[in-house]
Amino acid sequence: MPIQHVDLARLSLQDALDLATLVEEEAHERYLELADQMDQHRTPEAARFFRFMAENEAKHGAELAERRRALFSDAPREVRRTMIFDVEAPDYDEARAFMTARAALDIALRCEEKAHAFFVEALPHIREPQVQALFAELRDEEVHHQELVRREIARLPADADTSGEAFVDDPAAQ
Amino acid sequence: MTTAVHQAGQTMEPREFKSDLKPIWCPGCGDFGVLQALYRALSAVGRPPHEIAFVSGIGCSSRIPGYTTAYGFNSVHGRALPIAQGIKIANPDLLVLVAGGDGDGFSIGGGHLPHAVRRNLDLTYVVMDNQIYGLTKGQLSPTSHRGLQTVTSGYGSLEEPVNPLLYTLAYGAGFVAQGTPADMPGLTSVIEEAIRFPGFAFVNVQSPCVTFGEAEWQLKAHKAQMKSLAGLGHDPADRLKAMALAAQYGEELYTGVFYRNPNPAPTYDALVVERQAELRDQALPRERILDLFRKDGGR
Repeated sequence: MPIQHVDLARLSLQDALDLATLVEEEAHERYLELADQMDQHRTPEAARFFRFMAENEAKHGAELAERRRALFSDAPREVRRTMIFDVEAPDYDEARAFMTARAALDIALRCEEKAHAFFVEALPHIREPQVQALFAELRDEEVHHQELVRREIARLPADADTSGEAFVDDPAAQ
Repeated sequence: MTTAVHQAGQTMEPREFKSDLKPIWCPGCGDFGVLQALYRALSAVGRPPHEIAFVSGIGCSSRIPGYTTAYGFNSVHGRALPIAQGIKIANPDLLVLVAGGDGDGFSIGGGHLPHAVRRNLDLTYVVMDNQIYGLTKGQLSPTSHRGLQTVTSGYGSLEEPVNPLLYTLAYGAGFVAQGTPADMPGLTSVIEEAIRFPGFAFVNVQSPCVTFGEAEWQLKAHKAQMKSLAGLGHDPADRLKAMALAAQYGEELYTGVFYRNPNPAPTYDALVVERQAELRDQALPRERILDLFRKDGGR
């Protein structure tokens, strides 16, 4: 389970909304990091896509944060970023210099699948009905996101036979 | 108020340790995960950036101090440990972290390691062990395994690698652990434990080089092969068992704490403070310090 120090069986709706917001926040920041990496390594198409994903994650995060504010105002947050490990954020080792836009979309798809798997795995542990409803809603949203990404992938032309590795310089002795 | 969340007592957010400088490592590098784990561990420890000094040598991983908001010193190749020791003795209140690669730590700086361990200053030394010199484009490093083909070992290395875990245990380190960015919660946890340990703490991180490292020993392989020491029921107070497990470096990927001294010895920095207190009465007043250099000793 990619969360630590959280007892799902006793999760309140406030904590659940905070947890979900932080999951989106982590994914937002990670996509921005990957976009920066792509910029550094002259891979603009993948950078553009990662920025697009970052915006989407930020939008979802803001929506969840707004719901939380409406219900619980400024009650102190107990869930922290240090408790969440790559629930929806891409793993760092997924990125590659010169990766294609299709490869970037494949990463996004795996992230949506990963997030879906998290909510599926978490749901049986949750007892609070409102939290169950929220997690079920988020689980279904991840399925919808997967469909959107798959649709985008289908619209892309197939990658050329040459992989990104072909553009990397051979090691040179000093 | 809910009790579902177990508080770690932290007050800082990981992002507060992140500087504006953007890492220039190759996409896919293991060091990105190590940096993220460091932010989280520092957040959990809760000391603000101005109370932390980060010292490194030279290499890809030695760029880490620049990516944090703590005080940073990207120093000379292999000399991170002596500089960190000086900083800690000069200002024992600072939390001092040392970072670097396997070449920096076990080859160029290899002579400094046993002395840093035996002095037992309260330092945390995080080595990003990628078994290659990445920054200089793929030469054999001290932890490269026998048979590895690199630009400087075209027919395969003839040397046995250094075993960082066994070395540091044999030198007498009070805390020895290993992690991998393939297990981010575990890596964060061992770094946090290392920082909290009162004495010299060593964390070897298997952090693969995506460009010059072996294709079959990247994070996906780590995920498949890593074995948690806690899961194996290892008792970290058992030093001999820790050494037996550490001897399998290069064959098994164990993660977690190999050894944590249950009765940590006093640190060198604490002993220096004690000695200073003992000798305070005998100390010359500041304005008479130069008298020490006179032939008659100022008498």
